[in-house]
This record gives sequence, structure tokens and C-alpha cells, in this order.
Amino acid sequence: MVLLRGIGKRVGLRLLAALPALFGVVVLTFLLMRVLPGDPAVFFASGPNAGQEEIEMIRRELGLDQPIPVQLLRYLGDVGHGNLGRSLTTGQPVLADLRNRLPASLELTFTALLLALSFAIPLGILAALAQNSPLDHGVRLLCTLGVCVPTFVSGLLLIYAFYFLLGWAPDPTGRIDIFASQPPTVTGFLLVDSLIAGDLEAFGAAAGQLVLPACTMALFVLAPLARMTRASMLAVLSSDFIRTGEALGLSRKRVVLIYALRNALLPVITIMGIVFSTMLGANVLVEKVFSWPGVASYALDALLASDYAPVQGFVLLMALIFVAVNLTVDVLYGLADPRVSIG
Amino acid sequence: MKITRRVVFAGSTALVAAGLGNGEAMAQSRAETLRQVTGNTINTLDLTMPGSTRESFGLSMHIYDRLVAFGRKPVPGGHVFDQANIRGELAESYTISPDGLRFTFKLRRDAKWHDGSPVTAADVKWSLDRHVTANSLAKAQLQIGSLVSPEQFKVIDPMTIEVSIEKPDRLSLMDLCVPYAIMINSTLAKKHATPEDPWAQVWMRENTAGGGAYTIETFKPGEQVVLRRNDAWKCGVDGKLPFFRRIICQTVPEAATRANLIERGDADLSIDLSASDIPGLQQRGRVKVFSVPITNGFTHVAFNSRMAPYDNPKVRKALAAAMPYEDMFQASIFGRGARLFGGTWTDAPPTPAFPQPMPHKTDLALAKTLLAEAGFPNGFKTTFSFSAGLAATNEPLAALLKESFAKVGVEVEIQKMPDAQFNTLQAEKRLPMFVDGATAWLPEPDYFLRLYFTRDQRWNFSNFNNAELNALTEAAQFEQDKAKYDAACTRMIAILGEQVPEVLLWQPNHEAVMAPTISGYTYWYYRQIDFRDLVRG
Repeated sequence: MVLLRGIGKRVGLRLLAALPALFGVVVLTFLLMRVLPGDPAVFFASGPNAGQEEIEMIRRELGLDQPIPVQLLRYLGDVGHGNLGRSLTTGQPVLADLRNRLPASLELTFTALLLALSFAIPLGILAALAQNSPLDHGVRLLCTLGVCVPTFVSGLLLIYAFYFLLGWAPDPTGRIDIFASQPPTVTGFLLVDSLIAGDLEAFGAAAGQLVLPACTMALFVLAPLARMTRASMLAVLSSDFIRTGEALGLSRKRVVLIYALRNALLPVITIMGIVFSTMLGANVLVEKVFSWPGVASYALDALLASDYAPVQGFVLLMALIFVAVNLTVDVLYGLADPRVSIG
Repeated sequence: MKITRRVVFAGSTALVAAGLGNGEAMAQSRAETLRQVTGNTINTLDLTMPGSTRESFGLSMHIYDRLVAFGRKPVPGGHVFDQANIRGELAESYTISPDGLRFTFKLRRDAKWHDGSPVTAADVKWSLDRHVTANSLAKAQLQIGSLVSPEQFKVIDPMTIEVSIEKPDRLSLMDLCVPYAIMINSTLAKKHATPEDPWAQVWMRENTAGGGAYTIETFKPGEQVVLRRNDAWKCGVDGKLPFFRRIICQTVPEAATRANLIERGDADLSIDLSASDIPGLQQRGRVKVFSVPITNGFTHVAFNSRMAPYDNPKVRKALAAAMPYEDMFQASIFGRGARLFGGTWTDAPPTPAFPQPMPHKTDLALAKTLLAEAGFPNGFKTTFSFSAGLAATNEPLAALLKESFAKVGVEVEIQKMPDAQFNTLQAEKRLPMFVDGATAWLPEPDYFLRLYFTRDQRWNFSNFNNAELNALTEAAQFEQDKAKYDAACTRMIAILGEQVPEVLLWQPNHEAVMAPTISGYTYWYYRQIDFRDLVRG
């Protein structure tokens, strides 16, 4: 009970503290976009006879003919009402676009993170237990390779090998086979929705599409996770309580997996939070290569077109997610190490 | 036999088919479905809205009909559009009065909108009124063909409409064929009009009110758009229905993936593969490639003719002689296009056609002489810009140009800019020299030259202002005498040859890569696919 109350209090305080930061993010992105030299009206006024008149028309429609402070106030008012504006690139309201696309990004990122963790933690532990052995060097090599090869290269290579040459993977275009029927949207996560609908065929199709992009991303983040696990395990394994445990004749398995691992997990959780947030924003290349309809590629397209509203909406969304992830990490801390949440 | 996913899938389909007896129907539905992959996005269902993308133009050709349509003519491997041969689309037939001032359109008696209601002259009148009245892209476009006021459109009877103009205009009829000139189900649209939005422009962005060959099944901008054939469509050539029942237009951002999909046979058609992939695809021979130079466009290097030193025609001519044309042509687009340099004429071009090869070739000695005459014996410093979106073709071009210009003392700083920034600086006429492409919907020489080389407007890339050219293009539009018109066009092209506001480089190929079973592809001036033309098998 004390533990839960502590966590609740921390969550409330953190959320309050996040508000000024979010406000700052909104204003800063707004101003940054206006400083960029591109004019969205000119970019989108590209019809075969688009003259000054059309450019002015788009400017008026976007409110760009107003002075910047007025634009900012209007934008803040809109954001306060939950209206993030309209994207010129897709012609849809930004909120609707983000709502449709965020589950795609989250589904991919969660899968990739799970995949990465399920390899990284065992590999990190093994490497720590057999320090400087060939196994340790093998893990180091794998991590180095994973982090050295840019995701678009490994993504394209995987596509070339498993789709183009071998034909094992489904065509790398989006979240579900284009000819398969999509399950009715409940959560937006196709894996979950297809299970809710009881449609195993759709589940298989969606899972099949996930494999290559998730592997590409997991490979990239294997290194920080595995290396952190190893380093942290090494530190813990040489500490007094482990020696005590061993001296008391506890089994090796119990010492490593229960006492050492739990204590070694704190820094891994920290790095996991950072890795997750980075993956969500930085997986733009993976999304592009696999035609994944996620938020990062959406924001990149908008940025290239100087399409203000989607970029601002995306940055705000990312800020919210960072806040949420940091909170989760804090809560997880509390669970991994009860000392953290007391006081 | 190699066991691949495809074989396993085909095998399991066959098993299911044996059990259920619908396998044939499934296979047939795939055969009658066309899957197009593209890197771009359709961003509105109403292409006349400012900001609509080129892909939106293509979509509207299928959802909406126009009164009339351009014909097409065969070329090796496919077809290209033919603006000299205009057929009725929603109109069954049309007549032009002898004085060229009145066009009378007879509508098809059996034509229906998508909701099943019959097409009437009142709908056509409302649509045309919308185009010349509402603030939209159609307004500027119809102006080009002297269509400016609702008074010009008269309902004669429920199946006949008359369009009149003040003086004979070569472009009026053609202007009714362009993508913007859509015909709208006015009863449906009016239901969604509001006092602030009398032309239902807000509603039509997200909804359709047409009668074209296809209807929209799924519309997910940035992901996919699925079209379903309208089996009640009567406006095709000889009243024929399109072959494909279903069209999937899927956005696949990565060009290499698009190429893989087509080569593996999973997708059927793409028109935006990267130029460097196409020779390989052609060589391996698993796909069909239809290449045709974009006859209504050109790639060019523009000089800002009102900015020093490019306000001096001699400087422009000098740089035109310093360009390594052939090397640029090979490095930039792998020679896949038609050359617009190396013309052999001097004073007047051999034909009134535009674009045609201009009389420029690489001649460094001439360039040096001209620069010295212009007062720059030691050259000068300048910048050369291009947009990042076209870096694949323009980066090698820029490097070659820089190297060659250095030989005549002109030091070039290459500026690669994000697309939006490039377009903004270009529209504000703040770039001294840059490379870009240009196309015209109505590829008549006078229109082309008026659009790209006259007036203070966005597409006058070189900020060119030549009194003689201005007068010639103004007059030519209304010139009815063919010989006089041709003479005027010849003179206009000669002026470009003398003044060199832009150096024309080439017409790049429009490359449509498709499954070997697809035929009937047509190159259209708006550079999108017309699915109504395509057939499998």
C-alpha cells in the first residue's frame, strides 16, 4: 500500500512538472517551423497554372497571412481545443492521421523492443558470466555489427534476401497483405484486433508483415541493451552480497537469475526507456523502407514539404510519449528496487 | 521445382479451390485487379482545390468525366495522347459553329451519375459555372481558354449545352478536356452546399459526386486508394467498359521496393521508379518497360534574366556554350530521353514545334570569347541550385556543369535545397541559376512559350521579358490562319535561340514499368496513369 501510494504521488507530481515542458515544446516547434526557409503555400501551389493568386489563397486558408504572434495564439487556442490543424500532404486533419498511424508505429516498436530484449538480456548475461571468452567476443561482434549497419541498409538487405531472392517473407508493403481483408478496427493494433475478431488468417498476415521490419529495428538496438546488461551484471556479480550468496551455498542459477539479475536490471530499464522513445521517432527509415504507415515517416514527408501542422502535431505527440515513457520507467524502478519509491 | 512462398500459396489456394470450387473466381478477381505502386500521395478527392497533388489529378480522371477528351495515337510499345483528336466523353457529340465562337455539346442520353440519377445539361451548366466562379484551380485554367463567365454557358434543352466565346480561341475546346474540367452531379453537390460554401468545395474534398468509370472503395491518403469499376459507365471509346474491375493504388515510398514488387510479379505497374533501376529491370527481362520522352515537357537550366550578370544575353549564350551537354545527358538520365541541344539551325528553327533541339552545343572557345565580349574575361562567381527531391538526376548534372564552367573561369557554388525552400526562392526569383523541369497541359507552342517565358508569374522561371515575344504569344492564341500561326511560333522559338533565357537540356523519358501481361498503356500529358486504357492478357 505504501509502495502504491508512493508511486501514485510520483506520477501526479511528474505529470504536473511535464506541463511547462510540453508548452515549451509546442511554442518552440511552432517558431522553428516558421524560421525554416520553405513556404508551404508555394510548395503546394504547384498546379500547371498556379500563380501568385493560388499561393495567396493557400496562405489565407492556412492563416499564414497573419503576423506570427497572432498565428501562435490561434494555434495554441486550437491545440487547447484538441485541434492540431490539417495536413496539406494528406489532406486530412492531423489528429485523425496521428490516431490512425500511431498504433502502426507502436505495434512495430513494441514488437521490435520485445524481440531485442529477448535476445539482448540473455546474451548480456552470458557475456558477463563468461567474460572475455570467445562467447563474449561473439556477442560483442554481433552488437557492433548491428549498430554499425544503418537500418535502411539492413532493411533493404533483409528484403532482398528474404522477399526478393528466397520468397519467404511477404511483400514488404505495409501492415497487412494488400489482398487480405483487414480486421475491424478496435485498438488499431492489427495483432490485437485480429485476435478480437477471431480472424487467425489476418493475425498470421499481420504477424508475417511485422517480422522483417521488427528484426531490422531489433538488430539496431541490440547493442545498447546487451552491452548495458553485461556491464551492469559484471558490476553486480563482483559485489559482496553475491559472494555471500555463493558462500551460503545457494545454487548458481538462483544467484544469477534472482539476486544478480534483479539488481542489474535498473540501468537496463533506464536504457530501455530511452531506446523505446528513440525507436519510435527514429525508425523513420525502417518505416520508409517497409512502407509502414507510421507517424515518423508521416512527419518526415510533412517536414520535406514544409507542412507545418503535421510536424508540430508529431513533435507534441513525441513529447507526450516521452513523458509517458519516463513515468513508466519510474514506476518500473519502484518495482525493481523498492528503495527508490520510499521517500 | 523451387518451393517458394508463392508456390505454397498457389498450392494451398488450389486445395481450397478443389474443396470450395471458388478458386477460379479468386484467381479471376486477381487477374481483374490492377495493383499500382507509387511513391506519392493523393491528398484530396477534389482536384480543383489549391494544393492538390498530381496524383489527385490522375484519380479524378477515373471518378469524374469531362465533356470532351483527348484521343490517343499509337507509338512503339504503347500510346501517347493526341490533342489534335478530341472525342466526346460525357458529350455524345459536339459541333463548332463556322465562326468558331460557339461549341454545342449533345449529352449522352443513357449517361448516369454514380447515384443512378441521369446526367442533364443543368448539371453541366452548374459544373462549368462552378469552375469559372468558385475560387479554385479550375478558374485560372479555364481562363486560359477564354472561359471566364457563367453567361458563356447556355442550356439549350435538357440534353444540349452551348458554350460561347468572344473571339475564336485555339485553346477553348482543349481546355474542356483537362483534368480540372470535371462534370459534377449538381443535385448531390448542392445538397452539401452551405451559404458560405455555395459550391460544396469542403464536402467534395472528402466525397465524390461524379459519374466516371470508377468509384472509390477505400480512401486512405498516404497508404492506399482502392477503385471499383462503375459498370453503368457509358462514356468510354465506343461505349466500352474498362478491363480492370478493381484498381489498388498503393503508396510504397522506397523506389527499390517498388522495383522489387514489380519484378517479382506482386505489383503490376509503377511510373515512378528510379531512373538508375530501369536499365537493369529491362535487361533481366521479367517486366515490360514503356519509355517515351515527355513530349509536353523539358528539363532546363534557367538564368535569372533580370539579375546581373545574367541580364546580359552574351553571358547567357556563353554559359550555353560551356555546358557539357552529352556528358550531362548520360550521367543525369542515362541517356533515357530526347535531346534538346545540338540543333543545327541558326536563325530560324526548321519547324514551329516546341520543344525542339535548340542550336546550342559545347564550345569552350566560343564561351570564352563571349564572356570576354560581355566584360568578364576572367569569369565570375555564381551559384547553381537544385531541389533535394530531384538530387538523383541533378547532382551528377551539377557536378559536370561546375567542372566545365571552371574551364572558362566561371566558379560555381552548388546549392542543394529542400524542395519547399527551393520552390520558395524560385517563385520569389531569388535564384541566379538553377535546373528544373517544366511541363504544359496544352502543348501548343504558343501556350508553352506564353506560360514559361512571359509575364510576371511563377512559371516564368527566367524572369524573361521580351516585348516581341510577349506580343507574339498574345496574338497567336487567337490566330486562326495556320500559316500565320506557324510563322509566329517559328519566330518565338528563334527569339529563345538568340536570347537564351533558359538552356533547354532534354525531355526525360516517362517510364512505365509493368507486368509483361499488361498492355494498352498511354502516356498522358498530366503524367499519371489512365487505368481505363489498360488491359491484362
